[in-house]
Order: sequence, then C-alpha cells, then structure tokens
Amino acid sequence: MRFLLRIQTGARTDLGRVRKNNEDSFHLEPSLQLYVLSDGMGGEAHGEVASNLAVQTIVTHCQQSENSRATPTFGDAQPDVSERTNRLASAIHLANRKVFEMAAANPEKKGMGATIVAAWIEGQRLSLAHVGDSRAYLLRAGTLDQLTADHSLVAEKVRIGILTPQEADASELQSVLTRAVGTNANVQVDSNEQMLLVGDTLLLCSDGLNRMVTDPEIASTLLTSTSAQEAADRLIELANEYGGMDNVSVIVLRVTQKSDGVLDRLKVWKRNSG
Amino acid sequence: MSRLLLKFENSILKEIPLGTRPVTIGRAPDNDIPIDNLAVSNYHARVYVEAGSLVVEDLNSLNGLFLNDIRVERAMLKDGDSILIGKHQILVDQLHDAALPADAWRKAPVPRVNETMVLDTHERRKLLEEAAAAGERSQLSPERMRVPTLTVLQGRTDQKEYRVAGKLTVIGHSEMATVRLRGWFTPDIAAQINKHEDGYYLGRGDRVPKINGVPISGLTKLNDGDLIEVGRVRLNFLFRE
Repeated sequence: MRFLLRIQTGARTDLGRVRKNNEDSFHLEPSLQLYVLSDGMGGEAHGEVASNLAVQTIVTHCQQSENSRATPTFGDAQPDVSERTNRLASAIHLANRKVFEMAAANPEKKGMGATIVAAWIEGQRLSLAHVGDSRAYLLRAGTLDQLTADHSLVAEKVRIGILTPQEADASELQSVLTRAVGTNANVQVDSNEQMLLVGDTLLLCSDGLNRMVTDPEIASTLLTSTSAQEAADRLIELANEYGGMDNVSVIVLRVTQKSDGVLDRLKVWKRNSG
Repeated sequence: MSRLLLKFENSILKEIPLGTRPVTIGRAPDNDIPIDNLAVSNYHARVYVEAGSLVVEDLNSLNGLFLNDIRVERAMLKDGDSILIGKHQILVDQLHDAALPADAWRKAPVPRVNETMVLDTHERRKLLEEAAAAGERSQLSPERMRVPTLTVLQGRTDQKEYRVAGKLTVIGHSEMATVRLRGWFTPDIAAQINKHEDGYYLGRGDRVPKINGVPISGLTKLNDGDLIEVGRVRLNFLFRE
C-alpha cells in the first residue's frame, strides 16, 4: 500500500484532584505509528510499575517484530484479524506475562495489574487491542463512536441486559474489572480493525476521562480544538473541572493528510494538464 | 422531589435537592454539602440513587457516619431518616413523586470509592452463568450459529455473494477490500463493516452508505435483511445457515 496517513498527535496525563499518585502510563511511538495507554492498579506505587512495564513491553515487542518477522508470538492468533493486529495482541499477551511474573516474584506486588488500550496504524488500517476499561473512541464526520467494549463488571452486565446504563453509571461497582493485564497467568485480549479516513480523530483514554466527562462533551471538545494537543489539554481540564476523581490520561490522534495516494496523484495530473 | 436538609442544633442551614447526581458531604469546599468542622473528613460521605433507592455511603471517613444513631458504612435511606456527621444532622425528606429529573446531559460523576480490582475466578464464573441465562431468555443464540453474508443486488463487483468473515470487511476499489467494487473513480474504501461482540456495524468510508434508504451517521448496527447502498452498489445483508 502506498497510502500514508499523516497523524497529528497530542497526549497528556494528569494526577487528577483526589489521587496521590498517577498510576497511568502512555507511550507514543511515531516511528511505528504505535500508541499505547495503560491505567495501573495495585496498592502503593505498584500500579505505576504495572502500567509502565506493560506499556514498555508492548512498544518493545512491536519494535522487535518490525525488525524481525521471526520474533516469537504470544497467545493464540485470531483468524478474523490481520497479522499486524495479531502482533499487537501478542504484545499484550507478553505484557500480561511480564506483569504477572513480576507480581508473583514480589509478594508485596501481589494483585498489581493494568488496563491496556493500544492503537497501531499501518497504511490506512488501524489495529486496535485492549484489556480492561480504558477506551478508544473514533470521531468521524462529527459522530463519536466508542470502538472498545469495557471489560468491567457493570459494562458486561449492561451488555447481557441485566443492568441499565443508568444503573451502571450510578453503581459503586464501576471499579471492578472483569479482565486486566497481569492479574492472571493468561488474559483474553480483544482486538479489532478499522480503515482510517482523512479527518478522523482517534482518542485513547483512561476511565478518569469518561467517568467525569460525557461523550457529547468529549465530541465537542475534539471538534472545536485546533490541534490534537489542544484537545488533549482541554479534555484533561474538563475531567478535573468535574471533580478529577481519578488519574486521567488521553492520547489524541488526528488523521490530517494522506500523501502519495493515487487520487492525489490524479488530481495533480489533472491540475497540471489544465 | 426528594431533598436533604442540613441541620445544626435546632436550625436548618441548607436544603439540598436530590437529582440523579450523587451528593457529596465533607469538609472540602467543593462538596455539594460542605461542613466546616474538624470532625468532618474532607470527603466524608455521599448520597446517591442506586437501582431506584437512595443510598448513603461512608467514604472512609475518620469519624464515621451514623444513621438513626447506628454507625453504618453504607445503608439504604427512607423518608424521615437522620444521618449524623460530626455534630451536623442531615434529614432525608423524600416526597412521593418518585420520578427523578432526567439529567441526561451532564453525567452524574460517581467518585471511585474502591480501588480498581479484578473479579476473581469464582465471581467471573457467576457472571458468565448470568450471561448464559440472559442469553437464553432473549434467545440470542440461534443467530450466532449463522454466517453473515452480503448478496449483490445491483452494481459492479467481483463476486455476487460474500461471506462477512473477518472483524473488518472493506467495501471499495482497494486491493484489500473484501467486496471489490469496479469502475473508474470508485473510492478505495467506500464503506466498511466491523464485527463487534454484539453484532455487525456499518461505517462510512469515502462514501456515506445508506441502510434501507437512510444515510448512516456513525457506526450503525446491521440487522438481518438490511439493504445497504454504497454509491451505485446495492447489497443485501443476510444471515445464512
């Protein structure tokens, strides 16, 4: 594929207004068009350790697999997604193993874990993988859609129809996850794909954002910001304004331009030939 | 509408209407009911609606929370209840119009009371059993056994019928498209279908597709028998045995 998207990035993490440490981690790897965000859990500073280890493991594994196709894979490959998407899921399986092993080797770190949401872009195709309740949203042509399904107790209950979204929003069980990286020897990773279009905005965030800020507010902030970084800053400010009950992290990716496309070349040719 | 009355000794200091938003009580000034007294923790307690019931909950305060003179961590409230925080009393005044105002726009921010935790294996199994029971009730299962397909009704494509097998199905001129559209000036990616846990969703590409004649806005769930139009191509989305 000769299509290359230009991705404008913005990102920020913040302690929020209640917590004493920031357990979120994120990493932008523009050379790979790989973007990873994680929300750690576990007492003391262990949440930070877990989220940081998970993010670094994923970036390193994806980098290695770019350099060598012989890089081993972890977890079962899914037949209904591309090799690239399976590679991203494999990185999360490896991160799970690393965090789990660290927790097993250090009794004081027992119970530590992390959520993950990761986006990897190749050509026009977005590979997306996640575990836990960190989310990916897509703003396209003015409409915001959540691309990930939370692995939380209340969200799973809403999906099977035994809880209403209103009850979920008011529930005290919102912090109970059904899956996390590093809390079990194995983890189930959700992955999906999407073809990106010029004008799309992709948002990765920890639950510190979407618990404080509604989807319509997220959409209007993304729409009215002049840059990806401005959008990231404004989203964090909004979460804090509404209480900042948790750490909050966002990665904003704006698909601004497509270069070297056939259509572009055709337009240039048409213009030149008058 | 229900309300809380903040009382100190014999005077009512404040009246707080109850909506869908949780009401927080504490010494910090950003609480809905700030109480400037050293016996009160910064974020001492909150009152909120859960599954239609009013609930009071201690937010790990130092000096605790008393409901009708009994110390509680968390309790359901009824009309006439008295909550004691430090030396302040909060009375529950529940009127009979049970309907709470729909505050749909602004999310009721629920503070994270507990640290994030993961369900243990036992709890997870329980949830799966509940899911299975719910599935049987709504009889969702038969559709899962069937394969989604796209049948071409009109337009130039490379096949007459397609199986929607992957998580991503691209409709367009692109080499990576599952449904390959022919013809000059056909966009590489005209539209796309995504498989999610609960079904198949149609999204736009460089064209805005229509479902049953209506242009979509955002990702739109496909139902068995839907007619999809992308440019001049018409496709029928059907589940087959």
